[in-house]
Amino acid sequence: MREARARSAIYRYALLTRVSHWLWFVAFVVLIGSGLQIFNASPSLDASDKSDPARRVLAIGSPAQGVGTTTIFGHTFATTNWLGWTGDGMGSRGPHAFGAWITIPGYQDLSGGRRWHFFFAWIAALCWLAWLVSSAAKGNLQQMLLRRSDLSKLWPMQAYYLKLRKTPPPHGTYNPLQKAAYTMVLFVVAPLVVLTGLALSPGLDAIANPLTVVFGGRQFARLWHFAGMLVLMAFFAIHTFQVLTQGFANQMRSMITGWYRP
Amino acid sequence: MRRRLFIASSISTLAGCGPISAALSQNDGLRRVLASAEGLNHRLIGTRGLAREYRERDVDTNFRVNGFATPSDARYAALVAGGFAAYRLIVDGAVERPGAFTLGQLAAMSQRTQITRHDCVEGWSAIGKWSGVPLADVLDRVGVRAGAHYVVFHCMDNDGSGNLYYESLDLHQARHPQALLALRLNGSPLDPDHGAPLRLRVPTQLGYKSAKWVGRIELVGGFATIYGGQGGYWEDRGYEWYAGI
Repeated sequence: MREARARSAIYRYALLTRVSHWLWFVAFVVLIGSGLQIFNASPSLDASDKSDPARRVLAIGSPAQGVGTTTIFGHTFATTNWLGWTGDGMGSRGPHAFGAWITIPGYQDLSGGRRWHFFFAWIAALCWLAWLVSSAAKGNLQQMLLRRSDLSKLWPMQAYYLKLRKTPPPHGTYNPLQKAAYTMVLFVVAPLVVLTGLALSPGLDAIANPLTVVFGGRQFARLWHFAGMLVLMAFFAIHTFQVLTQGFANQMRSMITGWYRP
Repeated sequence: MRRRLFIASSISTLAGCGPISAALSQNDGLRRVLASAEGLNHRLIGTRGLAREYRERDVDTNFRVNGFATPSDARYAALVAGGFAAYRLIVDGAVERPGAFTLGQLAAMSQRTQITRHDCVEGWSAIGKWSGVPLADVLDRVGVRAGAHYVVFHCMDNDGSGNLYYESLDLHQARHPQALLALRLNGSPLDPDHGAPLRLRVPTQLGYKSAKWVGRIELVGGFATIYGGQGGYWEDRGYEWYAGI
């Protein structure tokens, strides 16, 4: 049975990759929801160390009953029912930046959000570390990292996808755009999100103040943390789109059982 | 079609979170599992190092009021009306020489001034210049008895439902050089909104540790029998006792 299957399918994902992938997915969803819950407790982001309205980049608020607004770099937009004035998870609406439908827990609860966030931050970080060590040991990591020689192939690969070119440029297991995406997410954005999260801790700030300083201070670190989340959301959206459009069943089976039918 | 499927599946993934997590959050077992990260954070980060001290020009002259504003009860109003002349800081519990200090006595002890950032659990920060008596000096004056492990701060404000505010530190945190019994903010005596006449300042932890309107300091072996048993007003309401993160 196993041999028969082996002839028609290839074993693409190791157990550790599959387990860490799905744990990561769960952690990602929980970290977004609980992070937005935490954001709601003070729904503004400043490019400064201490809170400073003069350096406010984003503010979501409710200036009046029934009104929600979002202010980006001083420009205010009406976002009633979307941001600022949203559902509270108890059947009515109120002055909450993000609605209860997307926050964890699904009602206003800062301490609950913090518990979920810190627990799953550990899960995500430990998964990342386990996957990193294992891929490096097996030599898979080297195939994924973007190299200097890949830079000139980025546009030809994009041109191929845009049907401006008939063939993709020659590449290994991962094409140059995949390498760029994975390198950015796994080695730039994910570590940035972890470090900026740590920089928010007053306890850690007392031990490693330079960490907070390099991000521009505590509030600035909060801004970077939020921006990193948006980049990861964009990656998640593109990734999901690709899985849905590139043989959904085959993709899902391979990430669950490991077997992929080429 | 595919796009619609994608949008629908993404929204349903995220929209499910609220209600599901709301149900899960009520589960005590799961709550304990999630809270286990606190112990790990406490062990790894702890209370090492010194909070950054800022320059005079970094100070917020209009320091944001954290937590509750001026206590509304009559006893506190009477203290304010009397210029805090009747105020005594009671220090008792597991100590050699229980004490009751007037503001004059506290002001006569050696003072420390520090310009530090206040990091609120809500996410905002403000910088203030705090002056007062290092907590360690008061502990030395009363003499901590063997068996005392925690310092509990009993406050003069209640939340309107009769629950008094309180906080606690372990002795290691209490003897941190920046743990301060602050009497002054930005060069003036504390005003009622900021915790007059005396508040705690613990810049290595989140703002809710820095209890305002402290009236009594009690040395105890443990805090399981005090109020909700979690070591603080917000701790009794689900927040972490270790507020370093």
